Amino acid sequence: MSEVSVPLPHGWIGTTSQWIEGFGVGLVVLDLILLALVWYWMRGRDPLPRLWGWVLVAAGLVPLLVGFMTFAHGLESSATVSACGSCHVMTPFVRDLKDPKSETLAATHYKNRFILRNQCYECHSDYGLGGTITAKLEGLGHVWRYTTGRYTMPIKIAKPYANSGCLECHGESQRFLNSPSKKDILPDLMSGKTSCLDCHGPAHPEQKKEARL
Amino acid sequence: MTEPGQRIYLLRVAIVLALVFNVMALVVLIRPTPIAFTLFMFLAQPLMAVALFLLVIAVVAELRARQVL
Repeated sequence: MSEVSVPLPHGWIGTTSQWIEGFGVGLVVLDLILLALVWYWMRGRDPLPRLWGWVLVAAGLVPLLVGFMTFAHGLESSATVSACGSCHVMTPFVRDLKDPKSETLAATHYKNRFILRNQCYECHSDYGLGGTITAKLEGLGHVWRYTTGRYTMPIKIAKPYANSGCLECHGESQRFLNSPSKKDILPDLMSGKTSCLDCHGPAHPEQKKEARL
Repeated sequence: MTEPGQRIYLLRVAIVLALVFNVMALVVLIRPTPIAFTLFMFLAQPLMAVALFLLVIAVVAELRARQVL
């Protein structure tokens, strides 16, 4: 894949996530300094009357702000491709995804930027609030199984891939709706009677049977 | 909980818990892996809740000692 440097819009000041990360790190450093100072000032016999304000700020107010920022940053980051790829069992999938020569569905969507970002998450989570909650709960299960080693190789999708994952984007596209090849099977695709993956695919590369590391 | 020493002890525990919370938050902010975020959600945040609870107890004790409450 040719590497090009896409010009940023005039006046680019970074993404929201980058700002949250920056402010969050700054607040953590500030709070660590405040906590150390409060701890130091507490050495006296009865230092409380002059310390209450600082204690409440250092151990209460600033950590609350840090908590909000870390939660927002962590939640957004947990949907990125790099988050999915951080578990080594996902390495073959992410490697294929980013391989410009690969013809799998995942790689095709990635290299052509059919999905702009968070490509794993966009396809593997249902839409709406319920989809997000379910995806996060399933992700929690993945972390548990990964850290405790309760998984089997090769990795398989937990349930058959629903057409709604494809139709969320393609379903209302005129190119898709007017495609001659789709005309006859459109009702079956919409109802889920026929899977998109019956004709298109594979979504990911075949996994070699390998020992669990 | 009328002795200042007891209140300072509570505050010291709260400060240590806040310190642990901050370190775990820093890990998520710098390197947000799913495991780090899970630990933050299910370990760091409950620890911070305990720290806030201890702070409230210490504040109430201080106000009672000053006969405000």
